[in-house]
Amino acid sequence: MANIKELKMKIKSTKGTLKITQAMKLVSAAKLNKAQQAITTTRPYANELNETIKAVSALVEDYSHEYLNETENKQAVLLVISSNKGLCGGYNSQLGKEVKKFVSETDLDLKVFYIGKKAKEILKNNVNSGKQFDFEGMEPTFTEMQKIGQELATMFKTGEVGKILVAYNVFQSAIEFKPTIKQLLPMSLDENEKLELQNKFPFDFKYDPNPTEILDTLIPDAFSTTLWTSLLDGLASEHGARMSSMDSAVKNCKEAIRSQTLKMNKLRQAAITTELIEVISGAESLNT
Amino acid sequence: MGNFTVDILTPAKVIAKDLPAESLLVPTVKGQINVLVDHTHIVSKLETGMVSVFGGANDADKFFSVSTGVCKVLENKIIILTNTSEEKIDIELGRAKKALEYSENMLSGSESLSEDDFIKYTRKIERAKLRIQMASFKG
Repeated sequence: MANIKELKMKIKSTKGTLKITQAMKLVSAAKLNKAQQAITTTRPYANELNETIKAVSALVEDYSHEYLNETENKQAVLLVISSNKGLCGGYNSQLGKEVKKFVSETDLDLKVFYIGKKAKEILKNNVNSGKQFDFEGMEPTFTEMQKIGQELATMFKTGEVGKILVAYNVFQSAIEFKPTIKQLLPMSLDENEKLELQNKFPFDFKYDPNPTEILDTLIPDAFSTTLWTSLLDGLASEHGARMSSMDSAVKNCKEAIRSQTLKMNKLRQAAITTELIEVISGAESLNT
Repeated sequence: MGNFTVDILTPAKVIAKDLPAESLLVPTVKGQINVLVDHTHIVSKLETGMVSVFGGANDADKFFSVSTGVCKVLENKIIILTNTSEEKIDIELGRAKKALEYSENMLSGSESLSEDDFIKYTRKIERAKLRIQMASFKG
């Protein structure tokens, strides 16, 4: 049975942990706020951009862009966006699970690239690991992400790989995210989607100056924007996941402190009672 | 006369959402176009310039700066996608003047600039000039 001293030590260290988790929760909440704002303000632009490209490329015939062309090449790159730090609940492990599932089902020859260290730790035994991208500061910038995008796009353009995919957690709310794998390149539309769009827009747009020039400028822009939103989604989900896991850690700490204090008090009372009995029975024996 | 709505979206921010308008002026690569209600469907490339949204009798007129991007007119819903945009009332004249001066110095400076930097500063000058012009414009 644990003695009082041991319990006291335990309570003290749990209180220390409580302070840390509480602070981490606050920090994550602040970061989440910022990240959430970033993703919610970028999303409408990204969605609208993709919609426009889809509509225009479905309506325009005989248009080809190097980002749209399907290839026979089975080589593919999967970019997994995870976090550098742990203590964020199922954020990395759920994404890892999704990637493992995808890898076992696909017929592509995948090479996995990483943003964030944690996914590599989870996946390194299951997949063919490639490069790891790092950011200079704590907060990644659009330019840094654009560079990564350019590197990936070059691999695609030179024919080194036939597909570029990205795996990340889609931010849904502060306590909810969804691991997703999305194809970035080629940005091709399947025939059904094309027909659907053609039915939706039974007219053609008037283009100024011409559809080719518009698509030529929009498509590379859409590629980097999509990549950027995936990263923002990942960041917001990470902070959300960390905040909720720290919240439950705080609750657990409080509960542990409560139960340990109770146990300690019980032990202390028992010790006092035993001592009293000893004193009283000693005095009794003197009287007789 | 009916109305239509205008959205102005940038990667960094939603500048305007469902802004009611009666008439709209947009700078495109082929010149300024005027959009009224029930306009035909167009997709047009933008030029750096000023977008004027005229609200008509009930709503205020608003002015925005835009840079490269596209404008899509679809069923009385106009969506402007651009890299940067600012509403006229948010423009700070002092900052714009400083930016213009700085960029012009960079361009005329002795240091040789890379091609990317050259384009960057030329665009900066374009935007700064537009801001200054807009700030002094009484709409």
